[in-house]
Amino acid sequence: MNPRVLLIEDDPRIRRFLRASLPTQGYELLEAGTGHEGLSLAASQVPDIILLDLGLPDMEGIEVIRRLREWSHTPIIILSARGQERDKVVNLDAGADDYLTKPFGVGELLARIRAALRRTGAGEEDKTADIFTLEKLRVDFDRRQVFREEEEIHLTPIEYKLLSVLIKHQGKVVTHRQLLKEVWGPSSVEQHPYLRIFILNLRRKLEDNPTRPHYLITEPGVGYRLRGE
Amino acid sequence: MDNQPSADAARRPSPRPDGQPRAAGGRLLVCIDSSSAAGQLVRSASRLAEAARVEWFAVYVETPDDHPTFEDQEQIAKTMRLAAQLGGQTVMLSGFSLRDTILDFVREQGVSKIVLAQIHQPGWRRMLSFTLADQLRRRANDLDFYLIAAGDQEPQPRSAPRRDVWLLVRDYGLAATGVGLCTGLALALFPYLALTNLVMIYLLTVVIIAALLDQGPSIFAALVGVTVFAYCFVPDYYSFSLANTEYAITLAVMLIVSILISRLTSRIRYQARAASQQERQTAALYDMSRNLTTKLSLADLLPEAIEQISRTFDSQVAILMPDGAGKLHLSAGEAFPDDYGSEMLVANWVYRYGHFAGLGTKTLPKARGFYLPLRASQELIGVLRLEPTRPHKMIALKSLRFLEALGSQVALAIEREHLHQQTHQTQLQIEAERLRNALLSSVSHDLRTPLTVIAGSASSLLEGETSLDATTKAELTQTIYDEANRLDRLVHNLLEMSRLQSGQTKLNFEWHVLEEVVGCALAQLEAQLQNHPVVIHLPADLPMVRIDALLMERVFINLLENAIKYTPEQTPVTISGWITQQKLLLEVADRGPGLVPGDEELVFEKFYQAGSGSARGVGLGLTICRSIIEAHKGHIWAANRTGGGATFRFTLPLEEGAPLLDKTLPEM
Repeated sequence: MNPRVLLIEDDPRIRRFLRASLPTQGYELLEAGTGHEGLSLAASQVPDIILLDLGLPDMEGIEVIRRLREWSHTPIIILSARGQERDKVVNLDAGADDYLTKPFGVGELLARIRAALRRTGAGEEDKTADIFTLEKLRVDFDRRQVFREEEEIHLTPIEYKLLSVLIKHQGKVVTHRQLLKEVWGPSSVEQHPYLRIFILNLRRKLEDNPTRPHYLITEPGVGYRLRGE
Repeated sequence: MDNQPSADAARRPSPRPDGQPRAAGGRLLVCIDSSSAAGQLVRSASRLAEAARVEWFAVYVETPDDHPTFEDQEQIAKTMRLAAQLGGQTVMLSGFSLRDTILDFVREQGVSKIVLAQIHQPGWRRMLSFTLADQLRRRANDLDFYLIAAGDQEPQPRSAPRRDVWLLVRDYGLAATGVGLCTGLALALFPYLALTNLVMIYLLTVVIIAALLDQGPSIFAALVGVTVFAYCFVPDYYSFSLANTEYAITLAVMLIVSILISRLTSRIRYQARAASQQERQTAALYDMSRNLTTKLSLADLLPEAIEQISRTFDSQVAILMPDGAGKLHLSAGEAFPDDYGSEMLVANWVYRYGHFAGLGTKTLPKARGFYLPLRASQELIGVLRLEPTRPHKMIALKSLRFLEALGSQVALAIEREHLHQQTHQTQLQIEAERLRNALLSSVSHDLRTPLTVIAGSASSLLEGETSLDATTKAELTQTIYDEANRLDRLVHNLLEMSRLQSGQTKLNFEWHVLEEVVGCALAQLEAQLQNHPVVIHLPADLPMVRIDALLMERVFINLLENAIKYTPEQTPVTISGWITQQKLLLEVADRGPGLVPGDEELVFEKFYQAGSGSARGVGLGLTICRSIIEAHKGHIWAANRTGGGATFRFTLPLEEGAPLLDKTLPEM
């Protein structure tokens, strides 16, 4: 069965363009024009993934996310305008899984949808897999070893933990706050500068060109993402 | 400053409403007092002066015997304002004698006509020709006098000068004590000294008392001294009967000398006190005006004014100003508790009627504060509040005019600041208008180009659904996609620009690794940079910087886009960074054709486009860079490179407290 995508978006033109592209890529599309409509469709149709616009006429995006998260773990991807980095962070921390900045291409959207679905569906087993590979990178979780093109790289325990968390969320943005919380604990969530230093060091060990990173992608103002696929 | 007359005003030529020259000399003077009929007097004087086509002065003379109440002061100020409005020059004089001060002024200014109020004097004084008019006429019979009847108004019973009874009791007590001590000394010395020398001890005492206390107590001391002396030291001792009639002369001379001494001493003391007070006030006014003129914003100006007034008057001072709706709010100074709203009630009353009120006045005297309207040249702009630090100590009456002078300095400074803001606002509006116009012309060209391409390509696709081959379709689609992205960047830059210019952008400063910021910029431009090799020289130990990362990323994006736009393909772009002179210096350099010499500064101007024709932007990129760098307290400039190409360099301040790159968070 095709995965069901619920699109909560009030602009009919954006709905039309997604209606034209998503079904041809093998997704079933459900459309809602308001937050309330979206919430009731989410409950009755049980979509596999939700695309949520932040500028809805009837309710705040964050309210939709909170209500959905009361009973559902369906991945939510936020669609937002540029320059709303703070909103993005707030919504991600409230339970949204990922975001896309308008204007976006269909290719980008499909990649995000695939990453989100992989994490919820078959992805469950991947996370517990012993070996993770991404292009030239290989992580052996049993032995806690990291390789780049068969050459072992020595990571400090913190760097290893940081990489593991990013691998767990592969393809999805992880906010500074989430990363700090998962690696250092809840008391360190405001220590963004230190996180940046660790990411810098990790890049210097993993990347061919740390200034133009290939694996550890910065999401400006929001957090970091490990390249998917 | 119309309510703040000064001797200076006398030298300023008055405006001549009729534009015709006045007859030389023969000026007119009107003496005003604190009576409510003074207004009428001033009007009459103005009419007389107008008829005779002469300049005229409204003069108020302050003398030591004068104890005007707050209401009197206000009345005088009101009369003075009226005189100024009617075209007269207002002058405040102070002197020991009303008559002499006026005569001095008359001689100095070439006044030939004097307007006075017909004063209802008690019968005996009129009989003795004690009115001011009579006194003046006797001294200067070359002047014309106009006596104006004070109208139908009942002469207002003048309230007795309000002086603290306790102060009077204290002063007279001190005088009596002085005489007592002197008598003790005289009794001790009596066996050794002649009578004439004992007189000297008494005279000395009177001099000392006159130097320390007012005229009243010192004359009292003189009288008591002579009486005691007559009783104790003049034979027959301890009786008022005189053994020899010669002693009567001694006593009479002693009395006259004592009284003369006390009067002279107090006169000198009054003049010295007036001079030093004037000097202090002039100094304070000068200080105030100098301090206020150097302050550029209300936020600096108001505390400065408050500080100075509160120091001068030993009070807690606050300034209340109206908001847009005309409601008064505390703008600066110490907040005051106002549980029942009564203080604000007084403040609002003062603001509404433009009269002072509150503590120590007849209007709403229960208030804890004294409220003074702040009058600028056009209108009331606020209310000054004073609450004496020592409770129940009123503002000294004499200081009121000085306070008004300070207040009007503050008011004028505030008004100046308001005008300055208005000018600034107007400039902003003009600038915004200019921006809008430039934007419209740029939009018509630069935004339409991509739109034309998009519409054209899309319509080709629609029309040629069947006829076009797959490659052409793909090409057209790619064109649409690219142009749409370009449009997005243009729009983004325009929005960013307007946000930066309007000051709406709140910078989000955090410690960042520059390498990461540069990386983000490069990632955003990946597609465009395909044909431009990028070389990066950022030392690994570059310290972290406190920046708004999104804006700094925009700086790099715009500089890189600029380089891509104006340099041929395959020429390298270099990004470097190093520390120099306690600053971080960053550079984006290319090997393109470079800048037209002389354009190094122009390129940062809004809507500047190098060359012509092939416009590929709206010319805002570098302007945005400059705004952002300046918001980071940095500096950006452009230059041509030796060996060809352009270089854009900017500095960022290195701040204290950067997290160290090798520092780690505690392990879990």
